[in-house]
Amino acid sequence: MQLIIEAIGFGIATGAVIALGAVGFSVQFGISNILNITYGALMTLSAYIGLILINRGVNAWAALALSAVAVGVVSVIYHRILLAPLVRRGTRAIAMIIVTVSAGTILQYVIVAIAGPSSQSYGEQSGQTFHFADLTLSFGQVAIIVLTAVLMFALHLLLTRTTLGKAMRATSSNRTLARSCGIATSRISDIAWFISGCLCGAAGVALAITTVSFDFSLGALFLIPMIAAAVLGGIGQPYGAMLGGLIIGVSSEVAAAVSNPNYKDVVAFVILIIVLLVRPRGLFGAAWSSRRLMEG
Amino acid sequence: MGSQRTWRVSALVGATALVAACGSSSPSSSSSAPTQSGNITAGVIAPFTGPAAQFGKLLSAPCFAATDLINKAGGILGKTISCSAIDDTGDPADAVPNVTRAIATTTNLDMALGLESNTAATTVPLVNDAKIPIITTNGLVAFTKNTYPYYWRLTPSDDANGAAFAVWAVQKGYKNVAVVFQNGIGSEGNLPGLTSAMPKLGGSLGLQLTIPADAASYSSEVARVINAHPDALIWSADPQTTATFMSEYKQLNNGVIPPMVTATDSLTPDFFDALKKVVGVTYVTQDVYLVGSSFSQTTAAFNTYKTALQDDSRTSAIADVLSAVGPPASEYDGINILALAMVMAKSTVGSYYNQFVTKVISPKPGAVVVSNFADGLAALKAGKQIQYVGVLGPVVFNQYHNSAGQFAANVFNPDGSASRVGSISGTQVLGLL
Repeated sequence: MQLIIEAIGFGIATGAVIALGAVGFSVQFGISNILNITYGALMTLSAYIGLILINRGVNAWAALALSAVAVGVVSVIYHRILLAPLVRRGTRAIAMIIVTVSAGTILQYVIVAIAGPSSQSYGEQSGQTFHFADLTLSFGQVAIIVLTAVLMFALHLLLTRTTLGKAMRATSSNRTLARSCGIATSRISDIAWFISGCLCGAAGVALAITTVSFDFSLGALFLIPMIAAAVLGGIGQPYGAMLGGLIIGVSSEVAAAVSNPNYKDVVAFVILIIVLLVRPRGLFGAAWSSRRLMEG
Repeated sequence: MGSQRTWRVSALVGATALVAACGSSSPSSSSSAPTQSGNITAGVIAPFTGPAAQFGKLLSAPCFAATDLINKAGGILGKTISCSAIDDTGDPADAVPNVTRAIATTTNLDMALGLESNTAATTVPLVNDAKIPIITTNGLVAFTKNTYPYYWRLTPSDDANGAAFAVWAVQKGYKNVAVVFQNGIGSEGNLPGLTSAMPKLGGSLGLQLTIPADAASYSSEVARVINAHPDALIWSADPQTTATFMSEYKQLNNGVIPPMVTATDSLTPDFFDALKKVVGVTYVTQDVYLVGSSFSQTTAAFNTYKTALQDDSRTSAIADVLSAVGPPASEYDGINILALAMVMAKSTVGSYYNQFVTKVISPKPGAVVVSNFADGLAALKAGKQIQYVGVLGPVVFNQYHNSAGQFAANVFNPDGSASRVGSISGTQVLGLL
């Protein structure tokens, strides 16, 4: 029983990282309707930017913030230069996915060419641990849970309590209608890509801190669980992505604690399929944006 | 009728072209030994990309060292020999097309090296069917009773390695061990030997866990191991997985990590660096034991091997690490044995010279014992019989083309090189299986 309680705690820590990335991915999809597979490579990019900063003496959490902003900027540029023109030309959704896969692969190989294929690390973790009843969590795990909670709360406030957030939700819900209501959808789109890029960057560094050792495949390895979390929650729904991340994180850690750890990912995906069979649009379905928009 | 004739002519032309493309093999006019034109290629079949890419470097180095010395001695039957990297990526799904393509397109691919555990089950049949003699470093138990005629293994099988882990653990006083192996890394073969040997030595396996590679977290797995209170970990995983797991272990167990017994496969700069960065150099140099096949490091054969590694700019950086590891040394010896078999057979064609392999290493009355290619070549030119005794010592192939050796435990030095800290008798290990 103690193992299961511990696993739930570890799962929340793992789920926090997945949720961080999944929310960014979901926001990006919600605002632009593009399944951006480059997201994984951008997470890797962020982890390596963080590595450069940490090797130059920058504190790990400051490096996380700086890397997040850097990837936010890169995401806006990437969207403006490559994706938006393709959308304007009417490129089909499947072709857009292939474009993002290709761009991600190119970025991954550029990273390998510059940083090499060897595994990297931010260094030894703090030995500090936190004990909650039967649960022991490392400083890094607690810090990432807190960071994710803070960022998610900030995103919640942004989306529900600010004009910008309402404009983002309006653009996400119906771009044409939003534009006709006087919302500068292009600028809103840039802001959404910046915010989601920042979340992507934060997830990349958080992931590198969690895994301790990483290489150029970091983002690609964790893209699938993140997409799964986003789909589980209802693609395009930030709150759904948060919940999806936690479900995948907790279920995989509990599976590792009570069964063969090789099946930890399988269990998470079985849950995903079952949920989608029951609720094809995910846990939060398509209800969020329209209902909340009306309330706003 | 006309079309049949056309087909026959086309088939004849095609067959002629195929023979020419296959290295111009043809019976020699002066003897029955088939000859071929062009220089010789030694294919190093190993992962050169992907998580196990370090194996490619590790297994190419002895090829460079051996071929440097062979070419310096005048080559084989007047031909030079070079190493060609064949990337199997460590994944059977990639290995099959990549190796098939290499066999079809590489000119005079006359020997194959590497073929390590991850992919050997799929690559060995392909290379064997092409009648190319193989010096393999795989440890798969499935090949303990090998039936492929072109297959030769100079290193012990994985179950023997597993038993050697148990011997070393108990020798160090670690009676209760936890076994943690990464899925799909080829370590499962160690388990039969480990489970057989541990009880016989008075020890026990507290927990056996197989973990996936490169997970975001191993906290739950670490908690299970901590709860088993092991004296030591019997370990096998890639550098990145190892670093993540051990870092979490240290954090969740108040900074304490039990000693680790792992295979000499991990005696790589990547493994050393990855672990050192996350748990510190003290643990890596004092509590990590790397157990594997061993050989004397004071013989003339060893000195020649090590000097060749140091002299080649492609291998000099890892020469010190390699000198302590069995599988690369087996590659070096294997190339020399195959090269001398070619000289003895007066042919570089695998289907013919393969039968001379055992003649190169078998003890014979009046045979000159040679420890390198140049001496063997000189003796053969002088019309003498030879017995090659290389870096690994005398090689005795059994009916299944396997040769067992001795074992040793090594530790990392602070600079990443390795030192031997103990020996394990091969006879003792085999007795525990």
